[in-house]
Amino acid sequence: MTTLSYIFLLPLIAAFVLALVPRNFAVIMRLGAVIATFITAILAVKMFWGFDSAVADANGYKFVSTIPWLGAESLGLACKLGVDGINVGLVLMGAIVAFAAACCSWEIKSREKEFYILLLVMTGGILGAFASLDLFFFYFFHELALVPTFIMIGLWGRGEKKNYAAFQITLYLSAGALIALIGLIALYLAVPVELRTFDIPTLTNYFLNNPMAAATQNFIFPLLLFGFGILVSLWPFHTWAPIGYGSAPTATAMLHAGVLKKFGLYGLIRVALPMMPEAAQSWMHVLAWLCVGNLLYCGWVAMQQKNFNWLVGYSSVAHMGFIFLGIASLTLVGVTGAVLVMVAHGFLAALTFGLSGYIYQQTGTLEMKDLGGLLRKLPFIGTALIMAAFAGCGLPGFANFAGEVTVFFGVWQEPSLRLIVVLACWGALIIGAVYMLRAVRNVLHADLPEKWANVSDAPHIWRKLPFIILIFSLVLFGFLPRLLTDKITPVASTIVQMARPVAAREAAVANEVLGLATPASGQAATASDEAAAQPKADTPATTDNQ
Amino acid sequence: MNVGLEHYLTVSGLLFALGLFGVIVRRNVLVMYMCLELMLNAANLALVAFSRFTNNLNGQVFVFFIITVAAAEVAVGLALIVALYRKKQTAHVEELTTMKL
Amino acid sequence: MKLEALPWLILFLPLLAATVITLFTQKNRSVSAGLSIGAVVIAFLLSVLFVKVNGFAPEQRELAVNWLSIGDTFQIDFGFRLDPLSLGMILMVTGVASLIHIYSVGYMHDDPSFSRFFACLSLFTFSMLGIVLSNNFLQTFIFWELVGVSSYLLIGFWYEKPSAADAAKKAFITNRLGDFGFILGILIVWATLGSLNFEVLQSKAGVNAEALGAMATIGGLLIFCGAVGKSAQFPLHVWLPDAMEGPTPVSALIHAATMVAAGVYMLCRVFFILNAPALEVISYIGGFTALMAALIAVQQNDIKRILAYSTLSQLGYMVMAVGLAGQTAAMFHLMTHAFFKALLFLGSGSVILAMHHEQDIWHMGALRKKTPVTYWTFLVGTLALAGLWPLSGFFSKDSILALAQHKHNYLLFGVALFVAFLTTFYMFRLVFVVFFSSAKSKHAEHAHESPGVMTWPLRILAVLSVIGGVIGIEALFNRQFAPEQTEHAHGIVAQLIYPFQHAPVAAISGLIVFALGLVAAYALYAKATKDPLPEKLGALSRAMRNRFYFDELYEATVIRLHDLIAAIAGWFDRWIIEGFAIGLVRGGTDFAGRALRLVQTGNLQTYALLFVLGVAVLLYFALGR
Repeated sequence: MTTLSYIFLLPLIAAFVLALVPRNFAVIMRLGAVIATFITAILAVKMFWGFDSAVADANGYKFVSTIPWLGAESLGLACKLGVDGINVGLVLMGAIVAFAAACCSWEIKSREKEFYILLLVMTGGILGAFASLDLFFFYFFHELALVPTFIMIGLWGRGEKKNYAAFQITLYLSAGALIALIGLIALYLAVPVELRTFDIPTLTNYFLNNPMAAATQNFIFPLLLFGFGILVSLWPFHTWAPIGYGSAPTATAMLHAGVLKKFGLYGLIRVALPMMPEAAQSWMHVLAWLCVGNLLYCGWVAMQQKNFNWLVGYSSVAHMGFIFLGIASLTLVGVTGAVLVMVAHGFLAALTFGLSGYIYQQTGTLEMKDLGGLLRKLPFIGTALIMAAFAGCGLPGFANFAGEVTVFFGVWQEPSLRLIVVLACWGALIIGAVYMLRAVRNVLHADLPEKWANVSDAPHIWRKLPFIILIFSLVLFGFLPRLLTDKITPVASTIVQMARPVAAREAAVANEVLGLATPASGQAATASDEAAAQPKADTPATTDNQ
Repeated sequence: MNVGLEHYLTVSGLLFALGLFGVIVRRNVLVMYMCLELMLNAANLALVAFSRFTNNLNGQVFVFFIITVAAAEVAVGLALIVALYRKKQTAHVEELTTMKL
Repeated sequence: MKLEALPWLILFLPLLAATVITLFTQKNRSVSAGLSIGAVVIAFLLSVLFVKVNGFAPEQRELAVNWLSIGDTFQIDFGFRLDPLSLGMILMVTGVASLIHIYSVGYMHDDPSFSRFFACLSLFTFSMLGIVLSNNFLQTFIFWELVGVSSYLLIGFWYEKPSAADAAKKAFITNRLGDFGFILGILIVWATLGSLNFEVLQSKAGVNAEALGAMATIGGLLIFCGAVGKSAQFPLHVWLPDAMEGPTPVSALIHAATMVAAGVYMLCRVFFILNAPALEVISYIGGFTALMAALIAVQQNDIKRILAYSTLSQLGYMVMAVGLAGQTAAMFHLMTHAFFKALLFLGSGSVILAMHHEQDIWHMGALRKKTPVTYWTFLVGTLALAGLWPLSGFFSKDSILALAQHKHNYLLFGVALFVAFLTTFYMFRLVFVVFFSSAKSKHAEHAHESPGVMTWPLRILAVLSVIGGVIGIEALFNRQFAPEQTEHAHGIVAQLIYPFQHAPVAAISGLIVFALGLVAAYALYAKATKDPLPEKLGALSRAMRNRFYFDELYEATVIRLHDLIAAIAGWFDRWIIEGFAIGLVRGGTDFAGRALRLVQTGNLQTYALLFVLGVAVLLYFALGR
């Protein structure tokens, strides 16, 4: 048992304990959830802090442990947990957001017991999904977190459309998860019978040494791409997100938009890219053009929104575009930036939804035409919201900027995607600023309508704490992005090396026989840039040793 | 003329087809029921014929079982139909649609 | 190099002050003001100390730590570049900012959000110092954005006023348009030259002028886009006049002395990137902005807007100088302009306070006697801006005029002269209407002088405006941009008469247009109670007063277009994706369900028929084939 397994088990154990407490003790429910997530968050911070000095196993994972009573040896299932540079940030972010979400659940006034139990189960599922090194549990824990989402929207959601929202989000996400499941099963079956395993590092190594046939790759990769893509609201499969977040209770929106949504992206980076490099190459441009839909189109739609929560929902869809773009670039800088944006956006989305939840609780509406001038009444919440808006339009000082700018630079290295970078910059700098500042202008600035004279600011430190923590995290990683990138880069470099072996080989050929390899020269040029970028891990053979 | 297996089977087949036609076409429950019995007996006839021509008594034993079960079935079935008729005052299937959506 | 910690302290003290004020001293006004002023004054003193110890050109020109490092190609430093350009600028920024901070204590005295004001001001100082000290492109971009946001916060300081909230939004988004080009330019430079560090880039571009290749012009112009946004050049100039919604000290600090000058500073910093075609575009955009803004200024009636257009016009001058490859002239004018424009804005603030927040000059009048300190210092600032020998503006403006003449660009020389004439004209229009003639409202009759905390900064800035031309600013920047050139004049007297020896045509014509402008303004406005020009100029005057309809034009084109696209996207999302695509899937499933339900008739005989048909098909496949 390592810190990691405690991080994962604690919320689930707490959920179990709360299930035994009679439902009259609502305070205990809230307290239990807050304390459990708080300890989880502290442990996650401790793990993040000790990550650099921890011992890594042969595959580069740290804090590796297997939970013996989960899983079945006869079926080859083992609940194996571990973190490397990519998911350590996500686990940290997930734990902190879970704590903030538990703190922001004051609005829940009915059936507290069920709510907090579901919240804890969701937290445990999320952390398990990110920490799991076993393909089966990787998927299973995601579903474990997904099911409470649906229930929470259906039961504690708000607005007239909450049932429609719950239906739509359930159908969409189930469809996405099932498509991804087909892909994962096909992936499992692509290994010869005697070698079949669910262990992700073993699978990765296997496919590194025995690349899949191109046809198999081209069958599995789109399944994973679109399955995971639906989970992350890839355009045009995004409409569930705004309506879902618009109707979800605050804590659910925070956890789902912030953390759970990143699962699909994490899956792409962890599973799809390293195992199916050739398909990744050929699907790269499709993904890159689809994420223009996220970046520009969803930004424009966000400009049109009248409801603040919908606006934030669309903006969170738009932000996914940066991550997809970074992944599509298949460059070290781009993928690192993508992971950085994943972590940053987790904090940001949680912060924004938490704040909008607070305002909704105070005013009972998020229609922007009804709001206005709230900054005078809500100095703390308003300031936090302005900071969130700034972070959302990519202002330096917040982690989002570091991630987005890294993505821009990374994708710029891939000449065929430069046009998309131009569009992405437009989306980030202009459209993002327009809708975020419009929201600030409409919600916080100008005159205060009479009816909001009784609105009150966060009264005590406990209401402020979640926002302070989230803002602090954003600012911390914004000022010192190396805290994350130094952890991400080595892993990202391995993954990128795996994802581009063909190009690297072509580059080698092109360098040897100059002039003969003209058809591949465009690709070869970038690949040689790439090779120059990572002299340490030049060939797949050396990568294998890491 | 020598009566062979094919003749028995032809009669059995015709009987079966008649019964099937009755079940599909007729609208009176009682008639449908009798047509069902006709199909059952067509099968009996075929079994007895096979039994006779293959010198295997299993078929005839099987027929006894069928007759026994059919007798029980007739008892239950007729009772149901009578009960249904009493309740609805009709034995016409198109009027017996209470279970249809 | 000694005292390496000093640049860090200089940069981060204001940030520290801003943080502490925001988190802890919101309620305590005097502590907030003390922290903010203390931070910037100490930063100024430390800058002086640093320059005293290390000189303006320390041997070690960079201090840097790694900020972001991914692979070998993406290495971003957080560092300081210490050379005459940045150190001179630091002294100016911290010095002027100190004075304006002190002035703000008086100006903002009655404001309920006093502490927030100082927090924002400190944040701005931090960001501005970051731009000035930056040693690489990305760091410049980071602080570039941060000054944008602190400007947003300060313009929108009185956010209850819808006009202020709108102006803040407009300023930020217009700046973002420039930044969009800027970041693309940075990406191009990085991709072709492989570094973002100014030193490295300069050496690469210096060794091989063609290193940027085909993208050189585009890259240079994209980077210039950043300057267009921040320095409010045509066509992104529209935000600056609206930015006057902010408190007057903010206008003085951000929208006159420092932030808007950042564009010019940045162009000088990365001058090596710009090639000849790019420079030509830059010079003409600068010249056009100078002319257009000066024309608009002639017919404005709001005291701060006149000064804002004057700022635009002077910034156009500086950009034009950069375009003519005269970085020294541009920086020289930037510095002197910072002194006298800050002075003018602070003076206008003093007037506005005396007038109880009345800003229309046609409601003022005869304030000369009521507010003597303000009057005298304002007059000094006006004379300096108009370019009267031997005040600072004369020297810096002359160096730009001489530059245009020297480059034989007589079109721009003519434009610059005409703008100089207009400058004198509209500034003296302002002075005559506000301080002379007769009081035109009750407030003007009962006006009174501002307190000492406001007038002393005015006095100091007035002194600087007077002597700014001869204290060696030009020589300082020459060390940076033309190190081979020996100092051209020693001693005060030699410096005072140098322009007449060096480029007599420019100097004398400059003085002639000054005199013409003064005479014209006197003739028209010395006794005027309302503006005589609208009647004389008619439609032209109306166009000038309405800022040549740029706002309306943008409103009708750019903004409408974007809103239209957004509306189409919103419609598409709602009806095509949500309505049609999802509706199709949902409706399709629904329809299939209904269709299949028809098969379930509930009729036993139908089932029997289907059953038999099924058996027949099975038999056919099992036996028949």
